Amino acid sequence: MDAKDILGLPKTQFPIPQEKKSRPPKEPQRKPDGISREVYALTGGIAPLMPSIEVSQLKKRPPSDEKITWQWLPFTNSARKDDLQLFHWVRVVNGVPPTGDYAFAKYNKKVNIVKYTDEEYEKYLSDPAWTKEETDQLFELCEQFDLRFVVIADRFPSSRTVEELKDRYYSVSRAILLARAPSPADVAGHPVVKEPYNMSQEIERKRALSMVLSHTKQQDRKDAEVLAEAKRITESRLAAKGAEEPDLPPTAGAGAENSEKAMATGDIASPSNPSAVPGTSVVMADNASILASLRMLRVYLRSYALDQMVQAASSSAGLRTIKRVEQLMQELGVNLKPKVPTKAVCAEHLELRRDILALLNLQKQLQNKEAEGSFHDSPYSEAPGTPKRSNRDQDRPFMPEALNFGADRLGKNNQKRKGLQVPGRTSEGAPSPAHKRPRKLKASDL
Amino acid sequence: MYGGDEVSAIVVDLGFHTCKAGYAGEDAPKAVFPSVVGSIDQMEVDEPASTDANSGSAGEAKASKTPETERSKGKRKLYVGSQSLGLRRDHMEVISPFKDGIVADWDIVDSIWDHAFRECLLIDPKEHPILLAEPSFNVQQQRERAVELMFEKYKVPALFLAKNAVLTSFASGRATSLVVDCGGGSTTVAPVHDGYVLQRAVASSPIGGEFLTDCLMRSLESKGIEIKPRYSFKRKEIRAGEFQTVDLDLPNTTESYELYSQRVIASDIKESVCRAPDTPYDETAYANIPMTPYELPDGQTIEIGADRFKIPNILFNPSLAQTIPGMENFSEVAPSTRGLSQMVIESINKCDVDIRRELFSSILLAGGTASMQQLKERLEKDLLEESPQAARIKVLASGNTTERRYSVWIGGSILASLGSFQQMWFSKSEYEEHGASYIQRKCP
Repeated sequence: MDAKDILGLPKTQFPIPQEKKSRPPKEPQRKPDGISREVYALTGGIAPLMPSIEVSQLKKRPPSDEKITWQWLPFTNSARKDDLQLFHWVRVVNGVPPTGDYAFAKYNKKVNIVKYTDEEYEKYLSDPAWTKEETDQLFELCEQFDLRFVVIADRFPSSRTVEELKDRYYSVSRAILLARAPSPADVAGHPVVKEPYNMSQEIERKRALSMVLSHTKQQDRKDAEVLAEAKRITESRLAAKGAEEPDLPPTAGAGAENSEKAMATGDIASPSNPSAVPGTSVVMADNASILASLRMLRVYLRSYALDQMVQAASSSAGLRTIKRVEQLMQELGVNLKPKVPTKAVCAEHLELRRDILALLNLQKQLQNKEAEGSFHDSPYSEAPGTPKRSNRDQDRPFMPEALNFGADRLGKNNQKRKGLQVPGRTSEGAPSPAHKRPRKLKASDL
Repeated sequence: MYGGDEVSAIVVDLGFHTCKAGYAGEDAPKAVFPSVVGSIDQMEVDEPASTDANSGSAGEAKASKTPETERSKGKRKLYVGSQSLGLRRDHMEVISPFKDGIVADWDIVDSIWDHAFRECLLIDPKEHPILLAEPSFNVQQQRERAVELMFEKYKVPALFLAKNAVLTSFASGRATSLVVDCGGGSTTVAPVHDGYVLQRAVASSPIGGEFLTDCLMRSLESKGIEIKPRYSFKRKEIRAGEFQTVDLDLPNTTESYELYSQRVIASDIKESVCRAPDTPYDETAYANIPMTPYELPDGQTIEIGADRFKIPNILFNPSLAQTIPGMENFSEVAPSTRGLSQMVIESINKCDVDIRRELFSSILLAGGTASMQQLKERLEKDLLEESPQAARIKVLASGNTTERRYSVWIGGSILASLGSFQQMWFSKSEYEEHGASYIQRKCP
């Protein structure tokens, strides 16, 4: 029913393709006859993509042999069971009305519902929860509504849920199919047989969905608030726990402790000694990272914590050095693993390890320098050498700052450390590569 | 090419407030007129005869009542259509065929249909299949009555009864949606799934356009503004450009006619001035609203302030109606009416869980009262507050207000002109074979 129909023109015959092939190369020069140059230029100067109405065709009047009229005629519809005749406009060619069924009758699609006889019902389909009338009614509704179970449930005389109806329908269909099939293998591929309807699962799924959908916005907001609250509480708890960890390293000096706490926790703002702060930064960084990693675990043994810290502390050293550290400790009479691993004890233990490590490092460097110094034996070598040598017993700037604490500590193991002859420190001087800020002299250092 | 096939069906939608009728396939109804009739009882003329019959048959109450009422019905002259109603006649009562949302008086319906077919559309019903629109909560008995009337009296070749909600849904191109029909007599919320109304989940409330008009009238009366019906005065030109209103004294005018005429004016005020507010009504907040002027037909200019927003709020909060003096009896009439958004949520929650999401995201507004400004936005806002987080709320309404008014009729027009619908008519031969109750099967 497009324009051509109304005008009575024949549908396009497609003479175009052949012409099109010869056309493109000659296009710019030629223009088709029948329309003026300017009009043709409006189309862009190229042939249209779709076959359009040829001008010559338009000039032709409708073919004289056909007589087209439109008439108001009755029609029958094969999709109807009765013989209702309605009227509509029909395109009549030469006085002969079109034959054939109503064009829209083919859209009458129905779902195939199994139909059972009474004997089959008796044999296969009886169910305590369902009477025959109800089952019959169900099947009738299924046919009327094309298996739209939501609507069927709505119209079902007694109130049954959608799942019950579906369950009954699918189990009956299945039973009938199996009963009628010559052998079970034939129908095994049929979807009703292959995947049985699982009523309990459906009920669960719908219950969950209804829970999701029944949370109103206010409830969701409250839930979000509660969750945020809980998160805050857990975090503050963890932070409090983390605040205790940095007690393990040096406990000497309230100021030092304060500064340690400040470094470790961060949200506990304590006015700490700013001088101690940079000094403690490296150790604290170590411990903080360990603490962070431990916090990830959430549950761990404290001895494990100690092990981690020992490992971290000795990570910079090689295996041999670690062995020597341990050797020294044994010489000193200190257990490799503290017998009573309380916080204080562990802290001291770690410090001891660090000190030993530092001592060994120093000794090695001393040896290196001596070796170097012997190479460059010249008057000038004294200068760089001697200050070093003279400072040998003093604090080396490049040493880890852990040594700072050695003097500060008032712990149990002080005597042992003194035995180690850790030299007194002067902390004024050159900044070390280990830390960024210049260290300031602490009164308690000396 | 497209699925249409003209069989020149007629679509008739008899609403509470207006009746719409026209050809299927068109985009607006040709005949729109009020669905109330004026009736003049001519019993005074035959009074002696009827009183004799009365006293004589006092003993047998029921048996004699039928011939009694039949005679009195025959004596009633009905005037249908806006033209006839517009002319004031002595002793003319205005009556509506509806009671509580369903048809009570089939004679009036008959006369309305007759007027639509013969005087407005000028057709002979014998030649055209008829599509009737019915309320979503219609009962089987009513449907059978309608079918009988159509086939017996008008002898239509084929008939179909379609529910309002389904037609509105089709008018917007959807098979599944939640239809909120704010009509003249009531507000109905009905879910439609795959082209069928889920009857157990339909919710309706008696608050409709007429109710809001009544509230407005009482509110204005309580403020001392008197709405003079158009027939009750005459304007005489004293000098050039100046008019004087002269009251006419017409003692034989019935009260119902007066009320009807006042309602016409009040509903005009309501349509032009009222707006749905963004927030629930708060007495103090609206005390200082700037007033809008409105000129009554008799020349009086009135100022309307808080009522502009109070009246539409009644849709959302029905208990507000009790605060209007003169409307206190409302609480006895309908103690449990809910607001619009609660009805929507309630209706959706009665449906199966699987389709709820889809219903939430396609809520359609229809009906004359729905053409109020800002109603769609207000409903959306209210629903966003009360609905679950997981659901996406979307309220759709046609932008054109006349389309909202006639959406039921337009849906019927679309349906009746589809080629694949032609197999679904309930034809005369089927009626003769199976009887009127077959309608349940044919038009589910």
